Amino acid sequence: MNEEIPIWRIKYHPKNLDQICGRKEVKETLKHIIQQKNFPHMLFVGSKGIGKTLIAQLFSKEFLDKDYNANFKLIYANVPLNEEERKQARADAYVSTSKIGSSAGRRITTPAFIQARVKPFVQVKVLGSAPFKILIVKNFEALGQNQQGFRRLMEIYGRNCRMILITTKISSIISPIVSRCQIVLISAVKLNHFKNLINKIAVQESLEVSDEVVEVLYKISEGRISRAIDLLQLSSISGKSIDMEKLYENSQQFSNDNIRSLLMVAFKGDFPKVRELSRKIISSYKYDIHEFFKFIIDEINKLPLSKFVRSNLINFIADSDFRALEGRDIDIQISALLSKICLFSEFM
Amino acid sequence: MSKVKTEIPWVEKYRPNSVKEMALPTARLGGQRVRLAEELMNFIKLFFEERKRVNAENKQIREFNRTVIEKDQKEEIKIPSEKAAILLEGPPGIGKTSIVYALANDFNMDVIETNASDTRTRATIERRLKETTKSRGIMDFITESKEKLILIDEIDGIYGVQDRGAIPTVIDLAQNTQFPIIMCSNEYKTNLQQLYKKVRRYEVHPLPKQEVIKIAKNILKKEKIINLKEEDLELIIDKNNGDLRGVINDLQGIGQGKVNGDVKELILSLRRDNIEEIFSLIRNLFQVTSLREARNLMDKSDVDYNFLYKWINENLLTFIKSKRELSVAFENLSIADEIFGRIRTNQYWGLLPYFFDLFAGGVALSRKETPAPKGFRRVVFPRYTTGTYFSLTNVEKEFIEKINRKYEISQVDFIKDFLPFLKILCGTSRKQLKSISDWLELDAKEKKLLK
Repeated sequence: MNEEIPIWRIKYHPKNLDQICGRKEVKETLKHIIQQKNFPHMLFVGSKGIGKTLIAQLFSKEFLDKDYNANFKLIYANVPLNEEERKQARADAYVSTSKIGSSAGRRITTPAFIQARVKPFVQVKVLGSAPFKILIVKNFEALGQNQQGFRRLMEIYGRNCRMILITTKISSIISPIVSRCQIVLISAVKLNHFKNLINKIAVQESLEVSDEVVEVLYKISEGRISRAIDLLQLSSISGKSIDMEKLYENSQQFSNDNIRSLLMVAFKGDFPKVRELSRKIISSYKYDIHEFFKFIIDEINKLPLSKFVRSNLINFIADSDFRALEGRDIDIQISALLSKICLFSEFM
Repeated sequence: MSKVKTEIPWVEKYRPNSVKEMALPTARLGGQRVRLAEELMNFIKLFFEERKRVNAENKQIREFNRTVIEKDQKEEIKIPSEKAAILLEGPPGIGKTSIVYALANDFNMDVIETNASDTRTRATIERRLKETTKSRGIMDFITESKEKLILIDEIDGIYGVQDRGAIPTVIDLAQNTQFPIIMCSNEYKTNLQQLYKKVRRYEVHPLPKQEVIKIAKNILKKEKIINLKEEDLELIIDKNNGDLRGVINDLQGIGQGKVNGDVKELILSLRRDNIEEIFSLIRNLFQVTSLREARNLMDKSDVDYNFLYKWINENLLTFIKSKRELSVAFENLSIADEIFGRIRTNQYWGLLPYFFDLFAGGVALSRKETPAPKGFRRVVFPRYTTGTYFSLTNVEKEFIEKINRKYEISQVDFIKDFLPFLKILCGTSRKQLKSISDWLELDAKEKKLLK
């Protein structure tokens, strides 16, 4: 316990609902639910990285209390199944041939994700004295068409297991699911709560942080507390007092900036370098190609470009994205797009 | 009659009968240098021990199952696939097939071989191999039969419509076999990845030059060819680049022809389809000036197009420098890729000519203003491949597991959000890196991720 945790994000990770920064109304409703010992399926909605999962997790921890370990599961809808799970799902999908009846030997077409990750958990009865189990599905919108599979699941096993679905985009959740859930909107942390938190950390780490700097930090981190704390730690390395320059300098290094720097190199027209860089980025961040193109579009919208350049670039990206869908080799499509972007170096 | 005898290929004539008399290529297993012959012998011995054990246990299980109801029945156990099958991977002609035959000869086993000359659809593989692998024929009970060794040669030649479903069958085979399986392959292929996970993969390296010279001289002595000069022999060996089979074939080609006059020209004229051909094809392709030339070039060569357009993607940059021309070339290549995708998914093979014209002619002719590059250009392998979905390396997986003991984070968040931060943080000073890696109890490999 005496050991100093070197990563602040982990060090200041909240351990119960009370420690969560701000969001009073949500905390109160959740605490009320804990007293009531009952809740319907819930759908947590809020923008990226503001702590939805953390709140849901800490809530279930307090709700289930000592039965937490046996009755709780957190699954990620956007992490693909591994080989074993895939195999298990395929094996489960067969009904034994030795059983008699109309369904003998038939293959059940449940999506592998539900078959492998969800069903084994929800089908097992509650353990201990808890009223029901809790299943958290993160990034629920990533399931796409497979959301349909949850409709009956939520009804059939609803008594045994309540689900907390977490999403950033309520528009991409199908309406039958929305109608089965209580919607909990989770907002980003408010500035004054954020200030309190940062000041508390500053006191503990003996940092000098002015109010202005905290406001800038709040803006840069877009309400993502973990990102803010990361930035604070990075800035603190070169000295205990933190100013704007340090913050900006460090925020430049963060992840989406590598796509910006990729574009910058591309606008200089140095294709061999761009290609090398793009391969490096894709293999280290494991971007999906469509995700990669989306990031490029995001960046292009942020950059100060002329109307002509912007519209042309977006046109090219759309074209490449479509070709990547049909084609066999992703690298060719990315290279083709980047080589076109390189052409625009004349307009820069 | 004696004439017929001399006409069997020397490659078959001098194929070694025993592992002991053969020049053994060096091999690597997961980066570690191993002795191939011993590994293979151990593999076969272990397999039969394992089979004996598994069969004995299965017999007990079967007896047990007969006494209980269906619900309580136990499943029969299988030989783990990495003990049942191995894969030898290496360039052509270095003795992969030979070592298997020599080994079978040493152990007094029959070899059941299937290679790229057979159509390998699911049905044919099953017909050929499955019955032999699963059961033993009636004759086997009457006579003391030989054990069998299954050799699936040229497994990287499995692709396309004709061989559909072959890989799952091979995997299935490896899991249910009663006989050891050895597979041979020339190169790493992405569509074989399923298989790589299931079996042990040995990388076999070409023989050193001295060994090849020794063998070649031995053959020359036996065939009584004396007028081949030392330097010509070296030329042959250099040209073949470790391919012993190629050397022997060349020797036969020269030895049975007339060996006076200019041997050098004869040697150089004995070309064989290998990497060098792709190199020169690509070099020539960027020199063409008309679509017809490009077409002719493609028609003449029988390099796998599946693969050739990836070579072009990799090497475009060395031949075309101007930005404008590059973008035109890539535009054509990307359309070619799109068409190829459609061909493969919908089986529109009629579209193939467009694909050829686009990726060969379209790319080569994108050069309009600047002249064709002169002099020698280095052509490189298409090394870079992108995974199709979010796949983590083992090191990354272990890293995440370690982190999850202290801080819960998903794989996706870890790679996209947390790891970049850790990299930056650890990049600031060595002290940071040490304190973080100590706290997370990382080992050297995982530390590398942070750099």
